[in-house]
Amino acid sequence: MLSDLGEEAAPIAGGTAVLILMKSGLYAPNHLINLKALGGLSEIAFDPKEGLRLGALATHREVELHPAVAGRYPVLSSTYARVANVRVRNSATVGGNLAHGDFRIDPPAPLIALNARIRLHGTGGERDLPLEDFFTGFYATAKAEGEIVTAVTMPPPTDGLKGIYLKYVGNAAADWPTLGTAVMLRMDNGTCGDLRVVLTSVAETPVKVSGLEDLAVGRELSEERIEAVADAAAAQTQPIEDHRGSAWYKREMVKVHVRRGIEALLETA
Amino acid sequence: MKKVPADQGVLTLMTTSIVGESIPRIDGMPKITGNARYVADLSLPGMLHAAVLRSPHPHALLTRIDATEARKVPGAKAVLTGPDVLEIEGISPFYGPAFRDQPILAVERVRHVGECVAAVAADTREAADKALSLVEVEYEPQPAVHDVLDAIRPEAPLVHEKLEPAKTFADLAHLKGGQSNINYHFKLRRGDAEQALAEAAMVFSDDYVSPPASHAHLEPHGVMAEWDANGKLTVWTSTQSPSLVRNDLSNIYNVPLNQVRVIVPYLGGAYGAKLYDKLEPITTLLARVTKKPVRWILNREEVFVTSSKHGAVCRMQTGVSKDGTINARKVAVYYDTGAFAEIGPRIAYKTGFTGAGPYQIDNVWIDSYCVYTHKTPAGPFRGFGVPQVAFAYESHMDKVAHYLGRDPVELRLEYAYDEGDFFASGTRLHSLGHKESLEKCAEVIGWEPGPRKPPSPPPARGKRRGKGCALALKAVLTPSTSGSIVEMGSDGSVNVLTSTVEMGQGSDTILCQIASEEMGVSFDKVSIVRPDTDVTPYDTLTAGSRSTFHMGRAVQLATDDLKRQFIEIASDAMEVSEEQLEYREGEVRVRGMPDRRMTQEEVFAHKFKGAKGTTLVGQGVFQTSVAPTDKETGQSENMTAYWFGGASAAEVEVDCETGTVKVLNFAGGADVGKAIHPAHCDQQILGAAITTLGLTLFETMRFEEGQLTNQSFLEYILPAFGDVPRGLTSHILETPHRDGPYGAKGVGETGTMATIPAITAAIFDAVGIWIHEIPITPESVLRALRGDNGNGGTP
Repeated sequence: MLSDLGEEAAPIAGGTAVLILMKSGLYAPNHLINLKALGGLSEIAFDPKEGLRLGALATHREVELHPAVAGRYPVLSSTYARVANVRVRNSATVGGNLAHGDFRIDPPAPLIALNARIRLHGTGGERDLPLEDFFTGFYATAKAEGEIVTAVTMPPPTDGLKGIYLKYVGNAAADWPTLGTAVMLRMDNGTCGDLRVVLTSVAETPVKVSGLEDLAVGRELSEERIEAVADAAAAQTQPIEDHRGSAWYKREMVKVHVRRGIEALLETA
Repeated sequence: MKKVPADQGVLTLMTTSIVGESIPRIDGMPKITGNARYVADLSLPGMLHAAVLRSPHPHALLTRIDATEARKVPGAKAVLTGPDVLEIEGISPFYGPAFRDQPILAVERVRHVGECVAAVAADTREAADKALSLVEVEYEPQPAVHDVLDAIRPEAPLVHEKLEPAKTFADLAHLKGGQSNINYHFKLRRGDAEQALAEAAMVFSDDYVSPPASHAHLEPHGVMAEWDANGKLTVWTSTQSPSLVRNDLSNIYNVPLNQVRVIVPYLGGAYGAKLYDKLEPITTLLARVTKKPVRWILNREEVFVTSSKHGAVCRMQTGVSKDGTINARKVAVYYDTGAFAEIGPRIAYKTGFTGAGPYQIDNVWIDSYCVYTHKTPAGPFRGFGVPQVAFAYESHMDKVAHYLGRDPVELRLEYAYDEGDFFASGTRLHSLGHKESLEKCAEVIGWEPGPRKPPSPPPARGKRRGKGCALALKAVLTPSTSGSIVEMGSDGSVNVLTSTVEMGQGSDTILCQIASEEMGVSFDKVSIVRPDTDVTPYDTLTAGSRSTFHMGRAVQLATDDLKRQFIEIASDAMEVSEEQLEYREGEVRVRGMPDRRMTQEEVFAHKFKGAKGTTLVGQGVFQTSVAPTDKETGQSENMTAYWFGGASAAEVEVDCETGTVKVLNFAGGADVGKAIHPAHCDQQILGAAITTLGLTLFETMRFEEGQLTNQSFLEYILPAFGDVPRGLTSHILETPHRDGPYGAKGVGETGTMATIPAITAAIFDAVGIWIHEIPITPESVLRALRGDNGNGGTP
């Protein structure tokens, strides 16, 4: 149906994003195709070998409360728990949230940091790609016309890998975040075994900070080393300037929150 | 028993039973059960739905407007444009409370984004929207002025080339139109401020900037209107000023007052945005043209372009002499009133004369300007311009205290006016209580006496806490008038008829408490008749913290009238002279002879020969007056019926790495004269404080070249529970006012007045930076912490 109707149709799941766009007059599809009629896309399943699979129609609230997610990927539970409010979380779906491509959403930060992949289904068949490659620009994704998101998958957690998501809301408590920072860290006998940093809500697409293997892995995480990681993250970020802050301010916030994230994980290590 | 102190000029003994009790509010049950009806819940058979086309330009000439295709849309019963309105005979196409500067629909030019250009009434809202989409409009954009300081330059484009004063209000009768964007200039001169500043050892000079903001009332504006076959107009509207709407519609249509009936259902919040005429002119005109009932309900995006808080720049200079005395204050405040003056001139006048603050300073010079720009029209907003100037004069009290090495609270107490002092306007002060409020708030947040010792230089890491206190004083709108009718039935039940609008503040409950108290009947036998100009008498408006005082007195006068009638009837029945009788606790008694009495029922039985269902009616009109104001010096022996002070104290935590400010504890204090319903007073103080906290920290209408860029609650964020301080308390003080009911004064705006400077003072205490502009964004704090203030003000 999606490929037949082309741009005249919009798929709808939880509706928390598309209905706002329609109400504001920015978007006026002639048809809404209810994805909830599709079966089997709302399952959350964990397998020790395969890892975690979040069905595209699972709601935020279901992810937040799922025992396997809370047990194995606590950073994911806590991140989904901080999206909007419980009314929205009861309606908004994992797939819809990502497919919307909004730069201000929280889940991509920990998902990308957990090496998540996104699965797409269209008339041409099925494909999957790393989640960071899915976001291609401002409200733009790699999803082709006629494709829908069916699942998000990620590998089983590595022993000793800890994560944190810092949602920095600078203005009103109910505002969109100025910056979302996910940090995953594994320490091996006092040196850094693995470090991943992903930033959201700050640039047009999520920023997966690169070069950390050289900068941090195998080294002690001294104050100077952490500063260097924070500076690298800031340098790799092209912030959107808005009323939440200038590019200068947002880069400063990247430095602060990357440092705070690493420090918080070191404290619990 | 409460004894009013003799030094307040009155000595009365009062026994109160229901007055002073926080009883359940009478509008509570209808509202929490969903039974309360608002305008949007109303409909009439055959009713049409209205919608308007709005200007996309801040300033443009309307070169062509063609509604031919729009009129062909099935279901569209009327399409009106500005030129159409001009052709309708017998109506005045312009209105406004200060100047008749607002067209019903734009004529020749548009002056702000969102101005109404064409209006449709149709069978359905969808048909109305369809018709609007087919109205063809050609605009020729013109240079626009967006900034209040740009607008006062001689070369600025004029928003209005000519002005016609409206003469609706006595306090604005002196207005004149001019060839400038300044539509009103208030002057106050006392002593010689220029000389004193020249002689001062230190002069602080800063601009304090407040942006336009949205009232964000939950219920959008709504109106339903119908003309009957005899030409009488009935309007159901979400207004705070039914008497004024009635008068204006009578002017617009040139019909007698009794041919306009204005009914006001419950209001879902207003905060000043629902005063004067809003949707009424267009809706009534569509109803007249179509000869059908028409209803128009705004959506949220439209609310944002209908009214706003005045943005303001307040230029404050404070002089300190060699001996450490504050010797002068010079103030220039520029209120950005947007495209239409609405009531802006009154805001400039009323807050202009309080611009030096509640302090005894010998030399004061104030200029207060109301200035047009091509933005959303600004109107009253809880606080009525006072928060914008209090931000400035209170910040300077803190700067002076720091400069002199003194305790900022103690400095304020030294300079703050006392009972019987003369205000800078030459008006004698009565019933203040502001010093005690300030002391109480300071105590509650654990104020440590002594000068503030903020870290210097500002810290680069960690979180720091600080405390700040502030004070402000406001004068109630004067002159004004409130009328009330109190009707008692033969069964002793009472109806209270007033045009005071219940918009959440609790007026229905308070007015019934007063009637219950006065007539000596239980509260559950008293009922309110809400505003309906066919039955409820004139009231100036429900705003400005005036209803408890003014309408409360009007209800007392009406019950006095009713009691007089009881005594007259009892005198006839008992054959005792009226002088020997008194009305007490619901009975007429012979003085000194407790056994000789008549109950209410017996009085009714005598008067109406035993007929049941009969009624007696009392009426009361309460009016306040002023002495003339000197146009050059702003001096007046009597400027206002009463003063009300607001004190705020805040403890904040500043994150030195991000610049975020969190208000941890907050105390609000006000002298309410007498708390008729203490819980309502507390809610007013705290509600106003939370609102102002949002305005201080993040709320702002963001304009880019006249276009509002955050026109929805997705982007215009209000304070939520996550923003509310953990410690939040209110403190009621009671210094009775000689003219108020039981000594009561107003309270509604008190929590707004001193909240901004209390928060900025706390930030200074925490990290040693001065804030000169709200909202206080994290970036502005971080830049100031790094030494980049960007304001150019004095340190």
